[in-house]
Amino acid sequence: MSLEHLPRLPQRLVEMLLQNFGAPEWLVLIAGFLVAASTVVGVFAGGFALLSLVERKTLARAQNRIGPNRAGWFGILQPVADGIKMLTKEDIVPAKAEKILHLLAPIMIVVPAILALGVIPYGREWIPVPLELGLLFFFAVGAMTEVSIFMAGWASGSKFPMLGAMRAISQMVSYELPLMICALGVVMVSGTLSLPDIVDRQGGFHLGFIPAWNLFTPWGLVAGLLFYVCSIAEANRCPFDLPEGESEIVAGHMTEYSGFKYALFFMGEYLGLFAISGLGITLFLGGWQAPLPGLDFVPTWIWFFAKLCTVIFSFLWIRATFPRVRIDQLMRFAWLCMIPMALLTLPAAAIWHFAGRGLLSWVVTVPLLLIPWVIITVIYNKRLAPTLRTYRFAE
Amino acid sequence: MTPLAMLLTLSSLMFTLGLLAVLTRRNAILVLVGIELMLNAANINFIGFWRYGPTDPALTGPMFVLFSIAIAAAEAAVGLAIILMVFRHTRSTDLNKLDSLHG
Amino acid sequence: MIPLLILTPLILLAALGAVWKARPVHAALLLALTLALNAILYLVLGADFIGLIQFMVYVGAVAVLIVFSLLITRPGDEAEEIARRPRSLVTGLACSLPVLAVLLFMVSRFETAGSAATDARSVSIEQLGTTLFTTHAPAVMAVGVLLTAVMIGAALFAREPGKKTPTPSDS
Repeated sequence: MSLEHLPRLPQRLVEMLLQNFGAPEWLVLIAGFLVAASTVVGVFAGGFALLSLVERKTLARAQNRIGPNRAGWFGILQPVADGIKMLTKEDIVPAKAEKILHLLAPIMIVVPAILALGVIPYGREWIPVPLELGLLFFFAVGAMTEVSIFMAGWASGSKFPMLGAMRAISQMVSYELPLMICALGVVMVSGTLSLPDIVDRQGGFHLGFIPAWNLFTPWGLVAGLLFYVCSIAEANRCPFDLPEGESEIVAGHMTEYSGFKYALFFMGEYLGLFAISGLGITLFLGGWQAPLPGLDFVPTWIWFFAKLCTVIFSFLWIRATFPRVRIDQLMRFAWLCMIPMALLTLPAAAIWHFAGRGLLSWVVTVPLLLIPWVIITVIYNKRLAPTLRTYRFAE
Repeated sequence: MTPLAMLLTLSSLMFTLGLLAVLTRRNAILVLVGIELMLNAANINFIGFWRYGPTDPALTGPMFVLFSIAIAAAEAAVGLAIILMVFRHTRSTDLNKLDSLHG
Repeated sequence: MIPLLILTPLILLAALGAVWKARPVHAALLLALTLALNAILYLVLGADFIGLIQFMVYVGAVAVLIVFSLLITRPGDEAEEIARRPRSLVTGLACSLPVLAVLLFMVSRFETAGSAATDARSVSIEQLGTTLFTTHAPAVMAVGVLLTAVMIGAALFAREPGKKTPTPSDS
């Protein structure tokens, strides 16, 4: 058993143990599934704890501060301290809240994120649930998030959560469209909805050293960039973190939550971030494929997590650098820039697929994407981009 | 009771519930809820007949449901847009109050 | 058969709640639950693709749309709704119970004719796609045109009449 199979080790051990004790077939199967699922949940729950620290440290570094450094060596125990704080806090439910929905909302935020994490192929041998319709499943469970955000906002029975939820839903619905359309291009070229198969189609190298990832094609580059922006918006992160913009609407749909429920919201958000980045990596960055030839001795799941860390770090960097946009700018950007460009990647992907992926398709698809891109950028910058703000009551 | 009969009974009951909602609700949006229930009752029938009926290479059952879902989404979008427009005129979505012909 | 026995009462209960609940948001959320359970029913019956599409479109789009418009329109008084319920219920039941009777009669008649294949059946995505773009290609195009028209139409309807969308410099 090599390092490649390491993540499946717990599952194999439990299965072997149960078989030794003469357990029936179905019990072995169910136990194996449960252990495989807990491996994924465990890895990403640990990742969530680590990320909450890394994020604060990175932001502190970007703002010329030190960041958390009291708990443990370099603040390494800070997530534990945060966890204990959250668990021991009083759980406040507002008097005007709908008790049942108020309780259900944080749970229903975490569940779809975990379900979505289950279908992503993390390595050649580490695919928790190899579904034939994996991509569709991912988007289908992602649809649940909007309903649960609405439940959180409405059940709190107060104004800020309601406003935050309306913002969050309209933002997520608008950005889900280009997200799905970008993924469709990959489906068209790969000819499958199964995520492991999509990764397999991206194996190999052009000219001996350029990896055959979808990102390194004209349509894939555009779709990948759009997907990246959309995934920031889907994960409600800065510069698109309007639903919980502290300076505007307190904490959006999470305003009336405290203690462990509040922590669950954060967990759902970070797990969703992992899931959507994982999907982006699977679709455009070649999943677990190595970036250069001759690196096959490294276990494939290490490549996946290296890419995941890079993508997540770029999210942190963007959060530390960009100012927040306004809600009307956000919606206009989605409908006037993202969706037209996303729609254009579809014919480009079709041409790429049928014109043989050679020089001819480069010649056709690059202008097809570049010219509208330039036109949209020019129009947007001239007519629609945010101008210098004038203050009526200040100055 | 065969599985197919069970599905048909389920869809009959669901259709009736949808009809009841359409007939008794006064809020136009909740009438739309009833219509969605009725559409879904029909979809259950299609899937049920595909699953337990004779084999059909044209896959009429799932295809019909696929189109029906697309049409239902369109219907909901247009329906809600119309309701919003009516609401803007009359400040109400109560169907009993929408009885004057001039906006 | 066992999943069906579990799902059927759940779907009916959720649908009943969607019809009965006086508070509009509750009704809409229960509708979302009904549709989600329906999607699970399709998955159980072997129509995976249809089930997932049902989940995505109904729970992700239609239910959210309904809930959202409920928020915008500020639905009316619940107490009033409950007060006039007995009267409307009599009318509603008088109209819908005959329909139910006819439907159930037809179902019982059908069962006596009885022809039920019980082999497990599933539809693969290739099969579905091939059929969709050969046998049903005209319908696909018609639906495409319809959806485009609906998108434009809904956007036009929902627009505030005579009001220009604010430009960034207005603020």
